[in-house]
Amino acid sequence: MVDSQKLLVGIIANPESGCDIRRLVSCASVFPTSEKVSMVVRVLAALGSFGVEGALMMPDKSGIAAGVLRATLSHAATSGEPWPEVQFLDQKIEHTADDTRTAVRAMLSAGVRTIVVLGGDGTHRVVASECGATPLVTLSTGTNNTFPDLREATIAGLAAGLCATGGFALSEICRRNKRLNVHFANRHEVALVEVAICRNRYIGSRAVWKPDDLSEIFVTFAECDSIGLSSIAGLLRPTSRDAAEGCSVWFNHKNPVSWVSAPIAPGLIRNMPIGSVRPLPLGQQIAIDAEYGTIALDGEREFEFTAADKASVSLDMDGPLTVDVRRTLELAAGRGLLASRISHTLTHKKRTTE
Amino acid sequence: MTTEISKELLLRAYRMMRRIRDFEERVHVEFATGEIPGFVHLYAGEEASATGVCLHLRKEDYVASTHRGHGHCIAKGMALRSMMAEIYGKKSGICGGKGGSMHVADLALGMMGANGIVGGGGPLICGAALAAKIKKTDNVAICFFGDGGSNQGTILESLNLASVMQLPAIFVAENNGYAESTSSRWAVATGNIADRGAAFGMPAAIVDGHDFFAVYEAAGESIKRARSGGGPSLIEVKVNRYFGHFEGDQQSYRGADEVKKLRETKDCLVLFRGRVTKQNLLTNKELDEIDAEASDEVQDAVAFAKQSPKPQASDLLTDVYITYA
Repeated sequence: MVDSQKLLVGIIANPESGCDIRRLVSCASVFPTSEKVSMVVRVLAALGSFGVEGALMMPDKSGIAAGVLRATLSHAATSGEPWPEVQFLDQKIEHTADDTRTAVRAMLSAGVRTIVVLGGDGTHRVVASECGATPLVTLSTGTNNTFPDLREATIAGLAAGLCATGGFALSEICRRNKRLNVHFANRHEVALVEVAICRNRYIGSRAVWKPDDLSEIFVTFAECDSIGLSSIAGLLRPTSRDAAEGCSVWFNHKNPVSWVSAPIAPGLIRNMPIGSVRPLPLGQQIAIDAEYGTIALDGEREFEFTAADKASVSLDMDGPLTVDVRRTLELAAGRGLLASRISHTLTHKKRTTE
Repeated sequence: MTTEISKELLLRAYRMMRRIRDFEERVHVEFATGEIPGFVHLYAGEEASATGVCLHLRKEDYVASTHRGHGHCIAKGMALRSMMAEIYGKKSGICGGKGGSMHVADLALGMMGANGIVGGGGPLICGAALAAKIKKTDNVAICFFGDGGSNQGTILESLNLASVMQLPAIFVAENNGYAESTSSRWAVATGNIADRGAAFGMPAAIVDGHDFFAVYEAAGESIKRARSGGGPSLIEVKVNRYFGHFEGDQQSYRGADEVKKLRETKDCLVLFRGRVTKQNLLTNKELDEIDAEASDEVQDAVAFAKQSPKPQASDLLTDVYITYA
């Protein structure tokens, strides 16, 4: 049983992230389970320093939960530093994205104040589909990560602790993100960074790394220093996370208007044949004009489709709230919240909601 | 080139998986009659792994298999008749009936054999891959091993050797969740076997072993890399077996409905059929014809094995010793 009277933070660590075929076809690194365990431990240490009492974790059978359990037992035996009590959610493990969805729903029911997510763009996409107004602290443990922060887990843990205990209004420390909606065959899916329409007939190994496979991409934001498919748009028409529009790029493999050399995966820089680059306005529903193919959400092929599925894409501003780690720590420093910790932990202020 | 698979190859893939499945389901039935000597370890449920890898191979490429080796042997091209006869211990078997299920081999096809030693294939393919490298043949060598094998020193030493010598070797970890009855989730310290690639300076990836297309794509990239001199790689295929560790295993370590659910939701043959028919690449009729052919072929193999003679006492010392003079 989860004690919902406690001050709780949720932790989702995806055991599947950072292990796909891009290790074979590009220079991407494996993100090992042991490092994910270590990152969770660093988050726990930071949360404990702010008096967070409980951490709800998604269980898994790939070694993360087991590693965290070993670490908490070892910590309890050897250290006096406070850590939140870790509880693993009692749920069936299917080794699919549904595990994450189930865990997020349980965390919301238990009243977590924030959810720390360790994963790639795809993991964050799945969490975003369920998390509602609960803010996320994002940590990259994937491959082509554009959405989550690539930063030290301890610092993310500090921000999560401040978000949970610091009395900030969410409007002070959080960003509302854009999202892409994909409708097809009576289904609705979301993406946080990009939707790619691929010419592959099969999901296969999921990753997208061959220029010839790409027909079109739609992006929520495009940064010129990013990695992955959104970098193509980022190098042609940079679009910020806060802009009230996205961007779309159509590839013309037969008669390109121009070319752009883009880092579509770690160590994989490819010339992309550009047909057109357009702004993607909020709310406009764009039909996918292809006889067949696959739809990749945030870098991974997720669905096989045919023209009969009548797939379409649209952009809105209803993506998840994410904690701006730097902004949170700046505000905390300015208010003396960190200095006050020298002799005692923060009192558990009730968060002022928007 | 965009990633496409020809109709001919799709048919070959389905035929290969179906032949393996029918072969193993039939051995399961026949073993219960008591006619098959020794132990058998069945590959049913894992067909997409052997097929996704071996469809990229040439006859000259080498494969080292495991105790659960029937699927690898069929995927590498061995005839069902001589395989079944070998499993029955008959003289017409590919090894004269002396190898049986765990030592079935055909070097002429590059099949270095099933292997009763867990993790025994690693050193074998290092040798084969080194020969290919020295001879500049662009052949590759594949080692299939399980999650139990992944914890053996032989595999870890082989990963190291292959990386140090940049051998054209591909290590395919078929993680079916259990080393005999021990869960890999308990026994594999790193959680994922693929995590170990980094320790040996070797690229590694995880694929869904129920999805032929996922395995085929990953194996294709690994084999292309090895053929072109890019060195070894490691693929962890997450998969499940339908039967016990060995025939007769009561499987008390598995959930009550575990296998039933796997058959209902993750059957590689069903998943394959659904995808290719939805996209009108193959028809149900074409696939049904393959089902019928495979069934007949397995029936023929069993009949052949049953009617074949056993080795005689005079065969005892043949094929055992060799003189290099």
